Amino acid sequence: MTDLASASEVNETGVNITINGVRVVAPKGELVIDAAERNGVYIPRFCYHPRMEPVGMCRQCLVEVDTGRGPGLQPSCMLTVSDDMTVDTESETTKRAQEGMLEFLLVNHPLDCPVCDKGGECPLQDQTLAFGPGESRFVEEKRHYEKPIPISDLVYLDRERCILCDRCTRFAKDIAGDPLIHFMHRGNETQVLTFPDDPFNSYFSGNTVQICPVGALTARPYRFRARPWDLAEVESTCTTCSVGCRVAVQSSRNELLRYEGVDIESVNHGWLCDKGRFGFESVNSDQRLAGPYLRDVNNSDQLVGTNAALEAAATAIGAGRGGGGVGVIGGARLNNESAYAWSKLARTVIGTDNIDAQLADGLSAQMVLSLPRATIADATSADNVVVIGTDLKEELPVLFLRLKGAAQSGRIKLTELSLLVTGLSKHASASHRYVPGELAHAVGELLASNPQLASGSTVVVIGRPSAADFPDEVEAAVGVLTAGLPLATFLPALRRGNVMGALDMGLSPGVLPGRVSLDEGRDWFGSVWSSLPGEVGLDTAGMLEAAAAGRLDTLVLLGADPLADVPDRDLVERAFAGVGSIVAIDNFVTESVKRANVVLASTAFAEVGGTTTNLEGRVSRLGQMITPPGTARADWMIAAELAWRLGGDLELESLAQIWSEIEAVAPSHAGCTLEVVEAEGAIEGVVVPIPKSPDLAGAPSGPASIRWSAPALAEPPSVDGYSLRLVARRKLYDAATNTQMAPSLANLAEQAQLMVHPGELRRLGVESGTRVNVTSSRTTVVLSLVGDAAMPRGLAVMGLRQPGLAASELIDLRAAITELRIESR
Amino acid sequence: MGYLDGFRVTFNRLFEERVTTEYPQEKRPKPERFHGRHVLNRYEDGMEKCIGCELCAGVCPAQCIYVRGADNPIDDPVSPGERFGYVYEINYLRCIHCDLCVEACPTEAITESKMFEFSFANRQDAIYTKDELVVDDDGKPQRQPWELWHDGDDALTSGWMRATAPSGSAAHVGQVGWSGELGYGVRSPELGQTAPSDDDPDGGQG
Ligand code: SF4
Ligand code: SF4
Ligand code: SF4
Ligand code: SF4
Ligand code: FES
Repeated sequence: MTDLASASEVNETGVNITINGVRVVAPKGELVIDAAERNGVYIPRFCYHPRMEPVGMCRQCLVEVDTGRGPGLQPSCMLTVSDDMTVDTESETTKRAQEGMLEFLLVNHPLDCPVCDKGGECPLQDQTLAFGPGESRFVEEKRHYEKPIPISDLVYLDRERCILCDRCTRFAKDIAGDPLIHFMHRGNETQVLTFPDDPFNSYFSGNTVQICPVGALTARPYRFRARPWDLAEVESTCTTCSVGCRVAVQSSRNELLRYEGVDIESVNHGWLCDKGRFGFESVNSDQRLAGPYLRDVNNSDQLVGTNAALEAAATAIGAGRGGGGVGVIGGARLNNESAYAWSKLARTVIGTDNIDAQLADGLSAQMVLSLPRATIADATSADNVVVIGTDLKEELPVLFLRLKGAAQSGRIKLTELSLLVTGLSKHASASHRYVPGELAHAVGELLASNPQLASGSTVVVIGRPSAADFPDEVEAAVGVLTAGLPLATFLPALRRGNVMGALDMGLSPGVLPGRVSLDEGRDWFGSVWSSLPGEVGLDTAGMLEAAAAGRLDTLVLLGADPLADVPDRDLVERAFAGVGSIVAIDNFVTESVKRANVVLASTAFAEVGGTTTNLEGRVSRLGQMITPPGTARADWMIAAELAWRLGGDLELESLAQIWSEIEAVAPSHAGCTLEVVEAEGAIEGVVVPIPKSPDLAGAPSGPASIRWSAPALAEPPSVDGYSLRLVARRKLYDAATNTQMAPSLANLAEQAQLMVHPGELRRLGVESGTRVNVTSSRTTVVLSLVGDAAMPRGLAVMGLRQPGLAASELIDLRAAITELRIESR
Repeated sequence: MGYLDGFRVTFNRLFEERVTTEYPQEKRPKPERFHGRHVLNRYEDGMEKCIGCELCAGVCPAQCIYVRGADNPIDDPVSPGERFGYVYEINYLRCIHCDLCVEACPTEAITESKMFEFSFANRQDAIYTKDELVVDDDGKPQRQPWELWHDGDDALTSGWMRATAPSGSAAHVGQVGWSGELGYGVRSPELGQTAPSDDDPDGGQG
């Protein structure tokens, strides 16, 4: 009996069901609505969303189901398949139920589609057309509410249009963990609302706009800007932070108008954070640098043509090359191809290894590149996840969502070790505090008291806890971790967009493209590149110190704003004063660009294609949607032009050709050809190195060639009873140029203030909110002092870069910790 | 004799009455619903009818309409409701006067006059902006220097009537579906249409 045999086979993996008369096999536990869709039968729905728990709110998905007890209507989003189930989505009863539901949904629906932002892409419109009755029997006056009310700075709510599907409220509560919107009132009066004076201030609020099946929730930055039929779209990857969420970039008339999350399993599940989602505004900003200019001795700016500016830049770099040296700071904004071009330009034409994509606020590149790397999928399925030193909600928001979701479902055991309570703390099974300067000791204690970490699979997410502390302590802590957990894999929580791609392409001293060290790669790159610098160069801190001491002639700022970002403003000021000339390549005239002698305009997100790399090492395609403003150029073209003018030749001529060169010379990228990255279905991107990729003959073997050893465990800094230790943390919305140039986001950044435990306020005898003098080894500033019971005693916490005052003014880059004296004025 | 047969046809036609109209010396009367240059209408209280919904732009087969909407200023609304047409442009080098825009418009904002005699010395002039398209304070189309208007060209500017009733209900076919309009008021029923009856719950407006 072959029938029996195949039936028992199916039982292992799935069940037999009949959908509209066709026998199909569905995996156990699958919902009927999904099983039908997988087999080409679309059941209309409003409340069901594949990334959220079904609730059966809207009843639109009613279909006739027979499980042996006779056919009956059941909501297909709440029903899992069972053996011999018969589903009929086209029966007379099903049709009547679906038509009836739609007629009811429209009883009070305003149908103001012409002025509704959802019109043209509205599931209610589409499904009414496909499954609804032609006409309504309801002629009574509809229910009226005040037309859109703002429920946050970014989202409007039109209660007339809401069909009470519970998607937004479920998202806020279950996915984002910000239960700030709820159903209120009863029956016909039921509506989604916030609590009074408690707006829907979630970092993820834009997702509710995307998943609302009607136009009830609309986004202020997109409101009335376009209709779906005049949007052009290209898929890309968000480069606002290093999570690399997949986005659909939409524009109209060469202007970016909207980003929508694209659902990919390995990264973002369709979600975006609001900073990424609404960041398109900064690309459109009329403050964008549209062409080059020179600043002459009288400090007056002079607009020049691209040729003249390139000539001036080449002259400045040439002078440095022949004299005291050149340093290149930045590069995390670049795509991989441009990063490679700059790496090659610096090494072969300028002949320097002074190049660093990080601004002394990240982690050691050697450490990051040599640690065994985890993926987000590993982190959401490991037995244990340890998050150290970073507030993911503020720095890598969608990674926070993924880990929170995994912790909530009980899949992973999440342990956190941080200076302060973070967004993740309440979702972790254990959350520990430590004192600045003592991270490595705290990690040691954590390992000693949690032996289970060594038994199962463990993923460590490690970031820089506070820019006020010397990064050595993170390295020492990782040393303790690698010794105690030899099998653990790591997700480095570096924040800047393509910082991983930049490091992979060698934008760090002593590192060459493909995760190869300068020394190990000397033979290989000596054969594929024309020349290599003799010795390992300086990192950003080193370059700035050299410049301050007059030992560096030319600084190139590659999309970097050291004055604002390097956690030691005093040092940067001295460096800028001491350096011969500054060449800046940027999108905006930032504080640092204002000090440059030669300024070149470069492209921003969606203005150039290529690839980007996220924190997992996942390479994915960027989409070009619009043309850059004025004469702004892609960074790799600027590198190629400069090489020419410096008497060299990078031999780079297009993004595709650069990528094939990368694939051919960078050992970690071997086998990751353009065909692989662009392949059909490759929207998930490709994690490098590709397992079992062909070795490049003669090349060193990637990560293995990078040597990193943990620094010795330093003695904890001695305690000074009168001072508070500064914690300079990152907030999602800050004074960063790209946030401030997006009008919708700019005002979301909190003003700078110093937060302490209320006990410290009592000790000082001041009220919360008083302005006080704050003194560090660098300077004295005036700040308002705010009491917050969530702050540990002995610490003073401020944003690294909030509007008003940057913590970098107070920090000495080379000090182990930053101590503050606070005095009332 | 082969080819001479062809000449015979031509020769015979020489004596037949000609159907060619000697335009522009001679001008034929225009049909009631002639498709000429557009106008953007206003309600009787002077508010603009256009709500900037871009439906006309979306349906236009020549892609010659450019519309952008914006939030209606609360203290000085341009049109009723939340949104108004902030930019409205029609490129007459492209428009084929098919009237699909008129059919798509949910508010009867865009309609066509019977004026078709206009020419331009440069391409920019061919792009009519909202300032030029919207009717004047009397509800009459504005006349541009390069346009040739004849008597009656602006009569019944909104005289076009939808082919289908607004609600899609058969009972409404043939009824007047127009709202009141600046300069014209509410049109009386014509050509066998009936006025909306009072017991019709939605006033025949759909
Ligand atoms: S939600 Fe959909 S059906 Fe409702 S007014 Fe908007 S576009 Fe129309
Ligand atoms: S606002 Fe939208 S997502 Fe929220 S319940 Fe209403 S219809 Fe659903
Ligand atoms: S989490 Fe990062 S990558 Fe994702 S949307 Fe936000 S900024 Fe973009
Ligand atoms: S003319 Fe009509 S269809 Fe066109 S934008 Fe205005 S209201 Fe919409
Ligand atoms: S989709 Fe099943 S009840 Fe809403």
